Amino acid sequence: MRLGRDIVCSQIVELVTDYLEGALSIEERERFEEHIGFCDWCLTYFDQTRDTIATVGTLREGDVPADLEDRLLTTFRNWKEGAA
Amino acid sequence: MIAYKFLRPGRIGPFSGTQWPAPGVWLESEAVAVCATGVHACRIGDLPFWLGLGDLWEIELDGQIEEDARKLVASCGRLVRRVEEWSPASADAFRAACAAEALRRAQLNPDLAGIARDVGLTGSPSMAAFMGARTAELDEGPSGYEAERIRQAEWLAGALHLKH
Repeated sequence: MRLGRDIVCSQIVELVTDYLEGALSIEERERFEEHIGFCDWCLTYFDQTRDTIATVGTLREGDVPADLEDRLLTTFRNWKEGAA
Repeated sequence: MIAYKFLRPGRIGPFSGTQWPAPGVWLESEAVAVCATGVHACRIGDLPFWLGLGDLWEIELDGQIEEDARKLVASCGRLVRRVEEWSPASADAFRAACAAEALRRAQLNPDLAGIARDVGLTGSPSMAAFMGARTAELDEGPSGYEAERIRQAEWLAGALHLKH
């Protein structure tokens, strides 16, 4: 079986959340992990995503300052409209 | 059984996020399943596939041990020692050895000149190992890929004085 070389970096970006949520099949997990095993850039992205989930997961709505919330919402709205 | 494992700084499992206890303290898993649960580790032949994951540790496995194509999974494991020989200097020597092997192939097969040049340009040992194996595969077919991975593992075993 060919593992690791059948998956590319852009797929890792798409799969990382599913991986962390345990939503991938065993075969998909193997391919994902083998790519991470040699790809420094994807390992960094994987680490950052896991750290972000761990950090954000402890926040409550009241922890976010109002001005930061406004700026984030503005950014997301602009991004969805293709302006950012 | 002696095996090897790559851990992120702070003895963190690269995929599970588990922090390993100090050397000598057993880490136990209730079940063993590849890529799902259990203590995942490497034979020497598996090392080239996982080089990018961090610090290299010698570990001891016990209990139920399953052998997979490119990894071991056990119900118990404990750290023995960090393999200090896997250092920036030895990693760079390994990267250079991968590049030299790719260049050797390219001298015999000019079609490989492009990828061999790329192997020499990467600063990443794990990427050089992967690209070196792909170079061998382009040269000799799938058996070339596997043979190059074995050659890489033998290089690591010798340079890092690993126990078979």
